[in-house]
Amino acid sequence: MPVIEVEGLQKLYGDFPAVQGLSFQVGPGEVLGLVGPNGAGKTTTIRSIAGIIIPSAGTIRIAGHDLARDPVRAKAALAFIPDEPHLFEYLTVEEHLRFVGRLYGVADVRQRIPGLLEEMDLTEKRASLPGELSRGMKQKLAIACGLLHEPQALLLDEPLTGLDPVGIRRMKATIMRRAAAGAAVMLSSHLLHLVEEICTRLLVLQRGRVVAFGTTAEIIARRPDLGSRSLEDVFLDLIGQDEGAEL
Amino acid sequence: MIRMFGYLAWRSAYNRTARQARHLRSPRYVAALLLGLAYLWFVVLAQRPAPAADLADPRWLELVGALALLGAVAWGWIFGVERRVLAFSPAEVTFLFSGPVSRRGLIQFKLLRTQLLILFNALLWTLILSRERFGVSPWLRVISIWMLLTTLSFHRLGASFVRTSLAEHGRLGVRHRVVSLVVLGVVLVALTWSIGEALPRFAGADARTPIGFLSALGEAAAQPLPTALTYPFRVMIRPLTAHSVSDWLQALWPALILLVLHYIWVVRSDTAFEEAAAALSLQHAQALSERPAGRQVRWAGRRVSAPLIRLAPEGWPAGAILWKNLVAVTRTQRLRNVGLALAVGGVVVTALSFEPEGTLAEIAGWFAVTWAGAMTVIGPQWVRNDLRGDLLKLDMLRSYPLRGGSVVIAEVGASALVLTAIQLSLLVIGYLAFLGNQSMEPSLQDRTLLLVAAFAFLPGINLLGMIIQNGAALLYPAWVRLGSGRPAGVEALGQNMLMMLVFVALLGVTLLPPVAIGGGVFLLLHGIVSRWAAIPATTLVLGIMAFEAALLVNWLGGVFERTDPAAAGIG
Repeated sequence: MPVIEVEGLQKLYGDFPAVQGLSFQVGPGEVLGLVGPNGAGKTTTIRSIAGIIIPSAGTIRIAGHDLARDPVRAKAALAFIPDEPHLFEYLTVEEHLRFVGRLYGVADVRQRIPGLLEEMDLTEKRASLPGELSRGMKQKLAIACGLLHEPQALLLDEPLTGLDPVGIRRMKATIMRRAAAGAAVMLSSHLLHLVEEICTRLLVLQRGRVVAFGTTAEIIARRPDLGSRSLEDVFLDLIGQDEGAEL
Repeated sequence: MIRMFGYLAWRSAYNRTARQARHLRSPRYVAALLLGLAYLWFVVLAQRPAPAADLADPRWLELVGALALLGAVAWGWIFGVERRVLAFSPAEVTFLFSGPVSRRGLIQFKLLRTQLLILFNALLWTLILSRERFGVSPWLRVISIWMLLTTLSFHRLGASFVRTSLAEHGRLGVRHRVVSLVVLGVVLVALTWSIGEALPRFAGADARTPIGFLSALGEAAAQPLPTALTYPFRVMIRPLTAHSVSDWLQALWPALILLVLHYIWVVRSDTAFEEAAAALSLQHAQALSERPAGRQVRWAGRRVSAPLIRLAPEGWPAGAILWKNLVAVTRTQRLRNVGLALAVGGVVVTALSFEPEGTLAEIAGWFAVTWAGAMTVIGPQWVRNDLRGDLLKLDMLRSYPLRGGSVVIAEVGASALVLTAIQLSLLVIGYLAFLGNQSMEPSLQDRTLLLVAAFAFLPGINLLGMIIQNGAALLYPAWVRLGSGRPAGVEALGQNMLMMLVFVALLGVTLLPPVAIGGGVFLLLHGIVSRWAAIPATTLVLGIMAFEAALLVNWLGGVFERTDPAAAGIG
């Protein structure tokens, strides 16, 4: 049974369609990469699925719960991690986790915190306020908050922004570990090598519409004219910026 | 260079206003604008001038105004003016600090930018005061208010330089700012001595009536030292109270000279500025990257205190938001200072109240009770650990598994609790201050009943007040300042005053049904059960307030769930 189900998703801002006619599913253990140029509708899609934006049309179900009809249960099953970490100025690292634990009703929050802090390399910073953390550490804390309640659906918007090489490697491992544990993961990124490496399927968006959907091999196979060119070349061709590849 | 600064300040202000005006496509914003304009018309412009008999005596206006200014300026020097006064935006730091711009040029930019706000507020004040008949004409009044606000703003900036220089550089800072510090020291000593000399004048029974108090104040202020101390402040006020154009022109020159002297003082502070503003603005920029319109984070190297309340892992989920907001309060320097001042004040006042004269305790008592009352209208703008701070993180709030109503009640509950705690502490201090006074009216028994009534009603009144303030932020996020900071200082006094008047009107409308129904029941039953009628009346008032609060929270919860962060301009 799919964890994330999107059917006919549309979001209009006035007359401008940010996203239109989007339908897809993400099952347990899958990692779906959302790629596209700036303004393609990636963030709108992820934020609609996270329940932040109300779609103009379409239905979204998370773990079988309709997001519009039963938003509390649907949101309890997901975690959204934005590209810019939004942290509370006066809560320490550990208090952020306790705060999130209460929101999601995590009874064994005390037992979970040490492991998460260790995984995110934040143990030494457990008593620090966000103002004392670097950009990368803040991002790790936001990720730790998202993982605390072991969500069935994990939504990450540009998850590697601000991380150092070690952080990037750890982050990739974390995402893959969660997927292996049965979570449905959906991430948006501009980093094509990242999506190629960890995503099981790709959804390529252009001006709010799907221009390609499937595994990397499937997408490349649909364009035999491009031969054995890289994902980057295929991506640029799909979004109509092929001349860029020639530069 | 000035043209470049002017361009930046003007275009930024223009584009900001145009962006806010674009929201007028929404009927909700149009309705708010029309209501606001109608309110201004009926309350301010359509009113006839106050009859001549009601005119306040310009001498009293000048004296009270000068003392108020003196108090505000002294407070700023002793307890610190807002360091934000020095801060530049991250973009200004990036472009101006690294660009070929002198420090003096940056100060001039800072002054120029503040001018737009001051001009706007001078116009607002002229509107607000248009009913009063002191002063000459509206145009001259705008100029008078502009000069007053500008001088005070320059003073605030100069004081910031001195204080920051001292804080950052200790002994070296003292050497740099020796003239300012000597002047400040002399003024503070003279002020303390003058207050000590004046106190006996207020001890007499005559000083307990408003007229007697003003007379005692006038006598005290007429002594040579207080006259010298209040002179600069009288000079600032005089153009406002002048009766004719010739009086106004006569009063204008000293005020203008004072303004120019302040300008020179501030512009010559470029060394202090170099030391203070750059570092502070960079800190500010760092804080802004943490939270777009927030206050500075000054925690580096400081141990974080443990939260006063423990958060259980299970329970009402929105309780986490309430807890988070209360923890933030205990860690905010300003509110911690308030808590400390209340605790110390309480102990001192209690000790003094049993002295034979008890005058000092009673002055402190009146001060505490007056502040507790004023906090009902000022407090909801001042305590902002609620949706007004958290709406900037609307993305995160919306992704939590909570109903909109739960988020709203948790957010407003936190700030209502804090405000109520401050007010009740002030009232307890006031109660203790008069404990030793057996001859006072109302009697001790009545005072006790009033205190109990405050404990019963204030939480509900504050909850409704906070719902109104948060409702405004939720309904009009593009027009309401979000973040824990708000426009502060003399520059923004006019707009804060206007907001407060609108708030008072709305709070009055909200409190009308419970007060009318509860009061009616009390009057009806009083003849039958005497003072016991207060019990059903109080229950009814509290019940109606709770019902109103539930209705409003439910409605605002729906608004929260429907608010699109991007469309509202906060995503």
